[in-house]
Amino acid sequence: MVNGKKGTNKFLLKRTAIIDIYPLFFHIYIFKLLRMSEPVIALHTVKKNYQDVPVLDIARLELPVGIYWLQGENGAGKTTCMKVMAGLIPFKGEIVLRGNVSSREHPVQFRRLINYAEAEPLYPSFLTGRDLLELYLNTKGGNRDQISAISERLGVDIFVNNPVSSYSSGMLKKLSLLLAFTGNPALILLDEPLITIDTYALTVLYDLIRTYSAKGVTFCITSHQPLDAEELTVTGTLKVAHKNITLN
Amino acid sequence: MRTTTAILSKIFTQRFYIQNTGFFLVLFYLLFGVVDGSSLWNYHQSLMLGFLRNNSFLIIVLLLWTSYALKCAGFILKTFQTQGYDFLFPTMGSMPATSRWRTWWVLHTAIYMPVLVYAAVAVVVAIQQHYYLKGIIIIVFNIANCIWPLTLYERKLAQPDVIFFTGHMQRWLNKHFTKPPVLFFLYELFTNFPRRIFSTKLFSAAILWLTFLIMRQGEYFDLRGLQLGAMVSVLVHMQLMVHNRAFDDTYLNFMENLPIRLSTHYLRLICIYILMFLPEMVMITVNAYTKTPWMGLITVFCTALSLMILFRCLLYFPKMNPEIHVRYVLLTSFIVLFMILGKYEWPAIALLQIASAIIFFKKYRTYEPYIERE
Repeated sequence: MVNGKKGTNKFLLKRTAIIDIYPLFFHIYIFKLLRMSEPVIALHTVKKNYQDVPVLDIARLELPVGIYWLQGENGAGKTTCMKVMAGLIPFKGEIVLRGNVSSREHPVQFRRLINYAEAEPLYPSFLTGRDLLELYLNTKGGNRDQISAISERLGVDIFVNNPVSSYSSGMLKKLSLLLAFTGNPALILLDEPLITIDTYALTVLYDLIRTYSAKGVTFCITSHQPLDAEELTVTGTLKVAHKNITLN
Repeated sequence: MRTTTAILSKIFTQRFYIQNTGFFLVLFYLLFGVVDGSSLWNYHQSLMLGFLRNNSFLIIVLLLWTSYALKCAGFILKTFQTQGYDFLFPTMGSMPATSRWRTWWVLHTAIYMPVLVYAAVAVVVAIQQHYYLKGIIIIVFNIANCIWPLTLYERKLAQPDVIFFTGHMQRWLNKHFTKPPVLFFLYELFTNFPRRIFSTKLFSAAILWLTFLIMRQGEYFDLRGLQLGAMVSVLVHMQLMVHNRAFDDTYLNFMENLPIRLSTHYLRLICIYILMFLPEMVMITVNAYTKTPWMGLITVFCTALSLMILFRCLLYFPKMNPEIHVRYVLLTSFIVLFMILGKYEWPAIALLQIASAIIFFKKYRTYEPYIERE
C-alpha cells in the first residue's frame, strides 16, 4: 500500500506538473504555428535590371517556413534572385522578412536574418578562413561553439588559418557554407551547395539543413542536381522563368 | 614536341619581357639613347670605370642589380599566385629535384640576363684596367643573384600559401591576428600590388620633398604652399582610389550581406585613407612642426584627407570611369585651391566632408559596378 500510495503521489505530482507547464507548451505550439503560417520572406514588386536589361520582375512572392528548391535554366536569374534577397545587389521594390523586417527600413536587421553562400565564392587572396569567420561572427553573432563544431564536421578547422589563395574550390565552398550558418538567420540561401564538396561533407550539409530547418530556419537552395529525397523533404519548388518566380 | 623548359619559358620569360616592355624601353633610352652613337662606348666605359674606381658607386650599382633580381623573383612568385597558373604547383612539383633546380636556374637567368650582359662587359673592363678585386666582386655578386631566388621558388612550391618572403612570420600572424576590414585594401596593395603602392608613395614623397625644398630655398614658409604640395600628393593617389573601387567590386561584395551599419562602412572608408596618408602626415610633421603651429598641421591633414575621401566617394557613381573621375577631381582641386588661397580652408574642409557624406550615404547601398558597352 505504501508503495501504491507513493506511486499515486508520484503520478499526481507528474500530472500537476504537466498541467502547470501545459499552457507554456501550448503557447509555444501556437507561436510556432503562427510562425509557420506567416511568410518568412515576402517580395513585393521586386524588379532588377542589369543596366537597361530587365532580369527580374516579381510582383509578389511569399514563402512560409520550409525548405525550397529554386530551379531554373542557366541564366534564368537564380543567382541574381538570391543576391537580391541577400541584399548583395540593389533592386527596386521591397523584401520583408518575418513580416516586419524590411530591406529598405531595417537594412542592418535584414542582413542579420538572411545568410547567403555563393555558388563560386570569391574572397581576397590574403584573407584566411579564420579572418572571414571572425568577421562573420563579430557582425552576425551566433554561437561560437556551434560554429566550431560545424567547422570540425566539415573539416574547415584543418585549413582555417591558411590564406584562401591556397584553398581548392571544394575548400572554398566548405568555408562559404560554414559562414552561411553563422548568426541566427531566419533564411539561408545556398547557391549550388551540392557541387565541388566531397560526399562526406555533403551528408554533413544535409544533416545541418535538417537540424536548422527543425529549429525553424528556412532554406532556399539552387541546384541543377536533384536534392536527395531521402535526405531532405522539400516544402516546395520555386521556378525562375520569364523574369518571375513561381511557387509550386 | 616542345620541351618542358620551352613551355615554362613561354609562361615566365616571354611574359616577363612582354609585361615589362615599357620598363625596358625607358631603361634602354637612358642607357643608349641619351648619347650619340659615336660616343656610346666611351660613355659606358666611363660609367663602368666610375663604379670600378669608387666603392660607394659600386655599392649603389650592386644594390640596383639586386633590386632587379628582386623584381625577377617577385614576378616568378607572383605568377604562381595568378589565377589560371595553379597547374604549375603539381606539374613543377612532380619534376625530379635536379631537373627542377636546373629549370629554375634557366628561367631566372633568362629574365636576369640584361644585368648579366652588362655585368659581363663591366668584368672585361675591370680585367683590362686591372681592377681584379672589383671584377671578382661583380662575378660573385651576380652568381649569388642567380642562385638565392631559386631557394625562394622551391619554398613557394612546397608552401603555396606563403605569399612572399615572410613564411613563418606570416603563418604566425595568420594564427594569432585577425585582419580587420579596414586593413583589407592595404593588405591587397602590399601583397598583390607592392609596386603600385611603393611607386605612389615614392612620387608622393618626392612631391612633398620638392615642396619643402622650394620653400627652404625661398627662405619662407607658407602654409598655403604646403597645402598645395599636399593636394598634389593626394592627386598622385588617384590610381589607388580607382584600384580601391575595383577591389571592393571584385572581392568585398560578400560584405554587403553582413549586418553592418552605413556609418560603420563610412568610418572604415575614412580610416583606410587616414592609414594610407599616414606616411605623408609623418613626413609633413617632421619637416614642418617647427615652422607652423599644430593647428596649421591639422588644417593641412584635414584638407588632404577630405579631398581623398571625396575623390573616393565620387567613385560611388557607377558611371564614373577613370576619365570622368579625373575631370571631377581636377575641378574640385581647383575650387579648393582658390579657397585655400583665399584662406577659406575650413569652409573648404566642411564642404568636402558634407559632399563626401551625402554621396556615400546616398549611393553606397544602391551602388553597383557599371559595365560599359563597347
